[in-house]
Amino acid sequence: MSLLEVRDVTRRFGGLTAVDAVSFDVHEGMIKAIIGPNGAGKTTLFNVLTSFDRPEEGTVRYDGVDITSWRAHHIVRRGIARTFQNTELFEEMSALENVMAGAHAVTRSGFLAAALRLPWTVREQREVAEESGRLLRLVGLGEWADAPAADMPHGLRRLLEIARALATKPRLLLLDEPAAGLNIAETSALAEALYRIRDRGSTIVVVEHDMGLVMEVSDEIVVLDRGCKIAEGPPRLIQKDPAVIAAYLGEEEADEL
Amino acid sequence: MHRNVDIKVAVLLGLIGASVFSVPLLTADRYMLRVLTFVGVNVIIVAGMALLFGYAGQVSLGHAAFYGIGAYASAHVVTVFGWPWVAGVAIAIVLTAAGGLLLALPSLRLRGHYLAMATLAFGEIMRVAFVEGKGVTGGPDGLSGIPFPSFLGIEVDSAGGNYWLVWSAAAAVLLIASNLVRSRAGRAMLALHGSEAGAMSCGMDLTGLKVRVFVISAAFAGLAGSLYAHVVGFISPSTFSLHVSVLLVAMAVLGGTRSLAGPVLAAVILTMIPFADAVIPGLSRSAVETIQEWQEDVYGLTIIAVMLFVPGGIAGALRRIAAKGSVR
Amino acid sequence: MGGTELLQFGLAGLKNGSIYALVALGFTLVYAATGAINFAQGEFYMLGGMLSVWAYADLGLPLPLAAVTGVAATAVLGGVFELAAIRPRKDGDPLAIIIITVGGSMVLSSMARHLFGPTERPLPAFSGGGSVKVFGASLEVQSVWILGMTALAVAALWYLYNRTGLGRAMRACAVNRDAARIVGVDTRLMVTVSFVLAATLGALAGLAVTPLTQTVFDVGPSVGIKGFAAAILGGLGNPIAAVVGGLVLGMLESLSIAFISSTYKDAIALIVLLSVLFLRPQGILGRWRREKV
Repeated sequence: MSLLEVRDVTRRFGGLTAVDAVSFDVHEGMIKAIIGPNGAGKTTLFNVLTSFDRPEEGTVRYDGVDITSWRAHHIVRRGIARTFQNTELFEEMSALENVMAGAHAVTRSGFLAAALRLPWTVREQREVAEESGRLLRLVGLGEWADAPAADMPHGLRRLLEIARALATKPRLLLLDEPAAGLNIAETSALAEALYRIRDRGSTIVVVEHDMGLVMEVSDEIVVLDRGCKIAEGPPRLIQKDPAVIAAYLGEEEADEL
Repeated sequence: MHRNVDIKVAVLLGLIGASVFSVPLLTADRYMLRVLTFVGVNVIIVAGMALLFGYAGQVSLGHAAFYGIGAYASAHVVTVFGWPWVAGVAIAIVLTAAGGLLLALPSLRLRGHYLAMATLAFGEIMRVAFVEGKGVTGGPDGLSGIPFPSFLGIEVDSAGGNYWLVWSAAAAVLLIASNLVRSRAGRAMLALHGSEAGAMSCGMDLTGLKVRVFVISAAFAGLAGSLYAHVVGFISPSTFSLHVSVLLVAMAVLGGTRSLAGPVLAAVILTMIPFADAVIPGLSRSAVETIQEWQEDVYGLTIIAVMLFVPGGIAGALRRIAAKGSVR
Repeated sequence: MGGTELLQFGLAGLKNGSIYALVALGFTLVYAATGAINFAQGEFYMLGGMLSVWAYADLGLPLPLAAVTGVAATAVLGGVFELAAIRPRKDGDPLAIIIITVGGSMVLSSMARHLFGPTERPLPAFSGGGSVKVFGASLEVQSVWILGMTALAVAALWYLYNRTGLGRAMRACAVNRDAARIVGVDTRLMVTVSFVLAATLGALAGLAVTPLTQTVFDVGPSVGIKGFAAAILGGLGNPIAAVVGGLVLGMLESLSIAFISSTYKDAIALIVLLSVLFLRPQGILGRWRREKV
């Protein structure tokens, strides 16, 4: 059984169909990429998968359960974490505190226990801080723990967001254009981090505009164009797929105009 | 280094606490003690407003209603049913928390500033209810003869005793609030201030968080109202008007975001301004009247100035000064 | 209850409702431009009456000129308030604007008390006292003025909104501010215009009512809340809905006096406000999109 089953998902905005009856599966332990030219509907689909948006039609099943109408914070608690194309960090908090915030989903100190500062909440807080430090080191940000997120360079902010997502202990991690705005060195560091995350046991879905990273890391690729799935398969087949080449060529022509 | 800072903060808080609690030992001036007791009541409400505005990013334009509900409920069960005052306090807290829940659930479910509108309407409804519900509230004339709090049958009827009672409650409320902001819940509140989308991606239930904070702030106001009723012995609708709600907003705004100390300081200052003669010896009656005459203008201009030129209020300004100091 | 009596209540509801409609329009215009509630809207109502009284009684201007002065001065104050206190807040955060208008409301009413005193001040009726008969029910002549002025103001606003470039720009802003900016609309100017219009409409309402009720520095918030309830009832952000909301609210209040008691007349608006917020936040007519968090 696949971990994530997407069936006939359709999302319209007024007269525009941003995502048109898209279906695919994500199997446990793989890195799956969703690619496509600008305006292909990648981010819309991504928001539907993470319950930040609702489809008009279709279903999203996770671990056998229909999560299409779940609220975003519920699916996080079930093990689906995400990052954002334009990082959504807590700017005034330190890197460590950002990651600790990610642990919200897997900790349980409530208002009452916190108000009374019960001993177990203090213990839980300390454990979260230690685990968050480990995650920062995993993505290579060990030295930045006390820096406010606002002061970090762009490339590292993306890694910080990934560390925060990992703090939710995800079975499925969805990354929205993680390589956007990164230079070559940063992109290869990102690729390394993705392998380490998969080897720790998370399944990864990555939405990318840029082909380079995708071809390198992904096991399978779904290609979208104007809201429709036009191809699906391993990277070497996708690279040769005439429909995919046509879609990307069309974009290059449009860019030249 | 962190530990050093913690010790310094603890020593500072200890000193402030000790001086606040020693006031009745140093003076027997009833007027001054009453004014400072009233400051303590406002500190209790503002602790909740600080959580709501400074941490959860919401504003209530009707907190005087919870203050009033707490006062009337407590006064009613004590004077009419003959219950002990502690039961009055408990009833006040439970009722206002429940009222806060009923108001916050529907209005926070929606995006936008529905809570500000709903609290405004709720405050006005309660004001009408306080005036018109004569059977319970005594109408425009209010309720009088509310007994002082008592312990083991001994009535706390001295100004100093009441001062200690209210400030003990204020200390407890501030302890609860500061535990909250340093906990997982507090981190979540800061997070939703920083980025709502980011907070959702961490599994935070934003609506649930805001509702909980609102309920706490309502309950604090209810507690304050109950204490006010017992300590002053007389309540009437004018104590719980829109004007008071707005004044509470002014305290929270001036005090600033992401801080308890800032709003508490603002509550102390703004509450004392009209009673400046209680703490400044020799201040003439006419000077006090002039202050009271221009109080509204000053508060209004302060709110505007803070929103325009002092991001984060007093607390934000202090943080910026501290940040500059540490760079140097 | 006889038909005449019912008509009497209906006319009273229509009169109050048109006042609420004008105040509600003010809320709706500012909301459309900023996404914020203008807490100071009621102060514009107060100033419209108060400044007219000042021009008439203190400056000795003839009544028509005093009325124009009062409304114009309030409109200018509305614009000045926006330029001085709203515009400097560059991020346009609606919560910040709400809080700023709370401060503005305090300052405006307090200044009115310093300048015009703490007591109620009268203004003569525009064309004498007395009343006219409408199918047996009587209607004060001043109420005819109220209805007429409201109708004129609504018509003028409709023309502005639908037949002028400025109106088109305002509507574009209300639908999507960023898109409006991209196509060249000066969105900051639209915020200023919305405050000037809101102040004008509020002032007209205050001016028209003062001969019947007198005016005093602290009437603002209570009228403001009713106008706000009307705007929410109709659907915030939608001018037609504001007018409908105002009239419906006026009628509901009148009916409550006729059939229940006048004691809770003031609570009707608030109960309507809370019910609408909870049950149908987009209002009766609002096309305001309901957004779940």
